Amino acid sequence: MKRKTLIAVQVLAAVALALPLSAAERLGAKPGSKMRLEGTSNIHDWQVEGKLIGGYIEVDQNFPLEPGKEAKPGKVEIKGEAFVPIRSMSSIEKDGRPYSTKMDDIMYEKLLEATNKRITFYPTELVLKEAAKDKTAPYVYDAKGLLAVAGVTNEVSFPVNVVPQGGDDKRIKISGTANVKMSQFKIEPPAPKIALGMIKTGDDVKIIFDWVVGPPKKSAQ
Amino acid sequence: MNENQINSSGFNRRDFLRGGSMAAMMAFMGGVELFAQTNAAPPGGEVKPGLKVKVAVIGLGTWGRDILKTLARLPIAEVVAICDKYAPSVKRASGDAPNAEQVEDYKKILENKNIKAVVIATPTHLHKDLVIEALKAGKHVYCEAPIAHTVEDAKAIAVAAKAAPQQVFQPGLQLRSDPQRHFLLPFIRSGALGAWVMARAQWNKKHSWRNTSPKPEREKELNWRLDPAVTLGMIGELSGNQLDQAAWFFNAKPTAIEGSGNIAFWKDGREVADTVQATVHYSNGVFLTYSGTLANSFDSDYEMFYGSDSAVMLRGSNAWLFKEVDSPLLGWEVYTKKENFYKETGIVIKAGASKSADQGASTAPEEPFTNTPLSYALGNFLRNAFDIATAVDDFKASFGDDDAEALKEHLAKVRRQPAAGYLEGYQAAVTAIKAAEAVKTGKRVELPADLFTV
Repeated sequence: MKRKTLIAVQVLAAVALALPLSAAERLGAKPGSKMRLEGTSNIHDWQVEGKLIGGYIEVDQNFPLEPGKEAKPGKVEIKGEAFVPIRSMSSIEKDGRPYSTKMDDIMYEKLLEATNKRITFYPTELVLKEAAKDKTAPYVYDAKGLLAVAGVTNEVSFPVNVVPQGGDDKRIKISGTANVKMSQFKIEPPAPKIALGMIKTGDDVKIIFDWVVGPPKKSAQ
Repeated sequence: MNENQINSSGFNRRDFLRGGSMAAMMAFMGGVELFAQTNAAPPGGEVKPGLKVKVAVIGLGTWGRDILKTLARLPIAEVVAICDKYAPSVKRASGDAPNAEQVEDYKKILENKNIKAVVIATPTHLHKDLVIEALKAGKHVYCEAPIAHTVEDAKAIAVAAKAAPQQVFQPGLQLRSDPQRHFLLPFIRSGALGAWVMARAQWNKKHSWRNTSPKPEREKELNWRLDPAVTLGMIGELSGNQLDQAAWFFNAKPTAIEGSGNIAFWKDGREVADTVQATVHYSNGVFLTYSGTLANSFDSDYEMFYGSDSAVMLRGSNAWLFKEVDSPLLGWEVYTKKENFYKETGIVIKAGASKSADQGASTAPEEPFTNTPLSYALGNFLRNAFDIATAVDDFKASFGDDDAEALKEHLAKVRRQPAAGYLEGYQAAVTAIKAAEAVKTGKRVELPADLFTV
């Protein structure tokens, strides 16, 4: 039954991706992104970070591509996918220094990296809550979509800030924080066998991301 | 590992003592000698079952066969081809890689897209073209040290490796991958030895260095180490790891080398010295004396580092600390295992031996065969090759392949197993080449700082 539901969700995502958007602007992933996972355990908090967020979005003309551009309240048509290669993420100390390759391997195993190489988010809805107050301020949206982790897909929603960077390459930074639970994705919180198995990891995980997207590079004349 | 990473280690005495105190407490609680580090990870780090890198070995002389035997024991290594232009050498080595394709033309290896990494163990003077062609073919390259017999060749290799950030280039400076050395590094850099005094290295073995073959041309090839036109002699071919280790531990570059050599025993018509001595001066004001002979094997090979408070001796993957009577008490050494060396008492400093503490053993167990500096170097090379290839694939899948600078920046942040890079390989080769020059000419050779830049 669960498998059927999963297949149905994935089919829906695929169908949504296949539908054309009217007068869409395609924005592809650019370097400069960051995703951080934060969680807890009974000995100390943990954090994992990766610098790769790939994928693309197609948005309608109401999406702000330039700083200070007027945006109408309400829905923006959106489709696409944002993905993070699991092996690009690694555990770090709070100050950013590398933590442990053993912890990385535990994470990869829990995320079923062998069979699910990516964490993928398929946006389905974007609603403008607050337009930018000035050229450097963010446009605030409510985002909804399907989050696929370790072979399990769930609908999630979270606020995002959109900040057009302007400049020649017209990059746009999309930032947000989503709160999820490992158990939502059928992931049993890790309990490493070290320290007599006394270490317990919390179920809650915070996903913090800065995703940089932009229009395709113009080919040289 | 690059030079910046090494320099940015930021070790200080307080950090070291903090670690030492914890280790001492643990040792005291267990009532056993101090082994100051938990079990070292196996070569290449913790490797999941099934994680394999397809690798070929080019050059199947004595050292090439040792490499092959080591690869055969590494879970991450899948030796898919072996190559030597001399067919009997390929046949002789095939027993250690029974499933590998046997090849006499290295170009077949480079053309094979299935092969991701190559280990080059040919004579030193043949490295350059092989390395550059292998890098051009997209292979990850492990090249035995010294990487070249001339500064020009060494620089050409380093430049090619620098220009290939999507691939791993690792020179055969195996001590740079040895967990024991990495355990010792903060100890030494933190100033636990006091002020630097001097260093000493030795390599003694009774061996003619001469090989025979019924074919004169083959015999000439086999005896390249005795050919004055291409050889770096004993000091150039054998001291590379030891001199590089000194530069690494001192965090300093050689500035001048004085040397001498003679044919003390093997008077068989050779022109290459069988006994050598050299003094290598480093930019921190300290010098290392090196001696080596092919005429006597007493005391084999080892390195000594002397400070005003204590001295450290390294033999293979073992190390001992010898304290001066007036040196400050570090704390932890009270509880450690001691071994006697004639009238001296050596305090055992050993990484990765906590298993013996767990078992209540009074002495550290011998490490299994695979856990030699060579196995760590090869294991780390293959793991880094895998991780870099994965990172390149991930980056290109995320952003395409039209932003080479961003990719380079991304790869610079990929976590790597400890290993020497092109810069260390180049600098070690330059040191070896200049040391050989000093021994050959009997003159002092200056090494300006700009000689070490790529």
